[in-house]
Amino acid sequence: MSRTVNVVRMQLVNKQTFGWVPLAILVGALAVTLAIWAMVPDGGALYSGGAQAPFWYFAVIGVQALTLTFPFSQAMSVTRREFYLGTLLTAALAAAVLTVVFLVGGFVEQATDGWGMNGYFFTFPWIWDAGAPVAAAFYFVLSMLSFVAGFTGATLYKRFGAFWLVVVSVGLVLVLIAAAWLVTRAGAWSDVMGWLLTSGVGGLTAVLAGITVVVALVAFPLLRRAVP
Amino acid sequence: MTSVIEVEHLTKRYGDTLAVDDVSLALEKDAIYGLLGRNGAGKTTLMSILTAQGFATSGSVRIFGQRPYENAAVLQRMCFVREGQKYPDDAKPWHAFRMARLFFPNWDQDVCDSLVAQFQLPMNRTIKKLSRGQLSAVGVVIGLASRAEITFFDEPYLGLDAVARQIFYDRLLEDYAEHPRTVLLSSHLIDEVANLLERVVVIDAGRIVMDAETDAVRDLASTVVGDADAVERFVVGREVLHRESLGRVASVTVLGTLTDADRRALAEARLDVAPVSLQQLVVRTTQAAARRRAAGDTEAGAWGMESARDAAAVGAADGGATPDTTRTAEKGVLR
Repeated sequence: MSRTVNVVRMQLVNKQTFGWVPLAILVGALAVTLAIWAMVPDGGALYSGGAQAPFWYFAVIGVQALTLTFPFSQAMSVTRREFYLGTLLTAALAAAVLTVVFLVGGFVEQATDGWGMNGYFFTFPWIWDAGAPVAAAFYFVLSMLSFVAGFTGATLYKRFGAFWLVVVSVGLVLVLIAAAWLVTRAGAWSDVMGWLLTSGVGGLTAVLAGITVVVALVAFPLLRRAVP
Repeated sequence: MTSVIEVEHLTKRYGDTLAVDDVSLALEKDAIYGLLGRNGAGKTTLMSILTAQGFATSGSVRIFGQRPYENAAVLQRMCFVREGQKYPDDAKPWHAFRMARLFFPNWDQDVCDSLVAQFQLPMNRTIKKLSRGQLSAVGVVIGLASRAEITFFDEPYLGLDAVARQIFYDRLLEDYAEHPRTVLLSSHLIDEVANLLERVVVIDAGRIVMDAETDAVRDLASTVVGDADAVERFVVGREVLHRESLGRVASVTVLGTLTDADRRALAEARLDVAPVSLQQLVVRTTQAAARRRAAGDTEAGAWGMESARDAAAVGAADGGATPDTTRTAEKGVLR
């Protein structure tokens, strides 16, 4: 157990990857957004998609955690299991921190009526519809999904090479297209949309959480046979 | 003495190539081994499998009597920083050392600090910007400071200047004297590390072609130096490995351990005997192994087989029959 915790500490020895860079991305995106809002003439509420930037970056750390830190962890005599658990734990910590930042940002935003400009960066309305706890869960799950997607993709690459990574990625896209086609054929888009509306962000979060768990679990058997 | 590493019939196949070909080995506690061989001979592959970083196609590996794969209790007693080791992105040497301290129970920070000073390693430059020699130094520092019971050094001197290499050799011996452990040093700068090694394992094309005590190996051949005619008379009927001459003086390397009669004959002919460098012997052994492979002949006609008997004879003859050397004689195998 302590060695798994040490993997977390190993991932965090360099504060840059999990700490400063995502923070800089977030602050940068916020600064750019606020500057633009300041230039926009008055009229109606303003929303920005810039807040998604740090979530994308989680996929990058997921990839790097594997491609660069996994080979080093092997030289540190860390087992693959310890590395897997410790790295996911690190991602969960970082996701939790990001979630807190988003919550605090959201409260500040609400308290200041959108930075005094009626502009909303953290509090995207639909996400906050079900309240702060559900919004927090959504942010957390989204970061984790992004991370494990990068991590599992990189593990697949490490284990089987670029060809199979492409095959699996294309396969997943094809599955999605097939699903969309089935929905269209059944004329069920209104049902799908209706489900999204009724179950709201909570329902979506639950589905994403399920996908995250599956993607994370897929990485383990791959990692167990991966070579640094 | 106990074997800390036991390898049986280990084979690793990458597609059509056999990187490791039916290797069996036993490495003992508290000794410095040289794993010698050409580039691509299978040195790194073998060490990767021993540390469970890589996977064997078949065969078994036991470290401290256990399987190393996913075995934290065993793994934390080993340290293997490979040649061309990858480090986390943006990591600086001090990051790497701090991480190593987390995982190696015997980590010695003083050893680490003093080595950093001696190697003049820039601690605040990212590892990916270090020179080849500085990169090697990072691996050497981790290997030495980890004080792991089994430490692997994979071509540790690559890019290191002569001073830094000497520092590595000196510090290795110094620390080894105080904290004995099993060291497996892979190298192709054979003569430079020869004095460190108690035992040499030579691997070629994935096969172990020599596994013997360093001293026994040195006795496998001798160089006879002196008047050219006298030298030529002495070497008649012997297998000549190498021949050099300068005016009236010739220097001929012959295979086989010199008998007492040989030595008397040499003294009478006023010829000198010089030791053969380990490097030359390893090169000859490797070339002989390659020739055997080319001839598709694994058993007969190879001087390696005779040498196996010679190695045994050497161990038995000059050992003064201490249990250790007798055992060596039995195990001093040249395949």
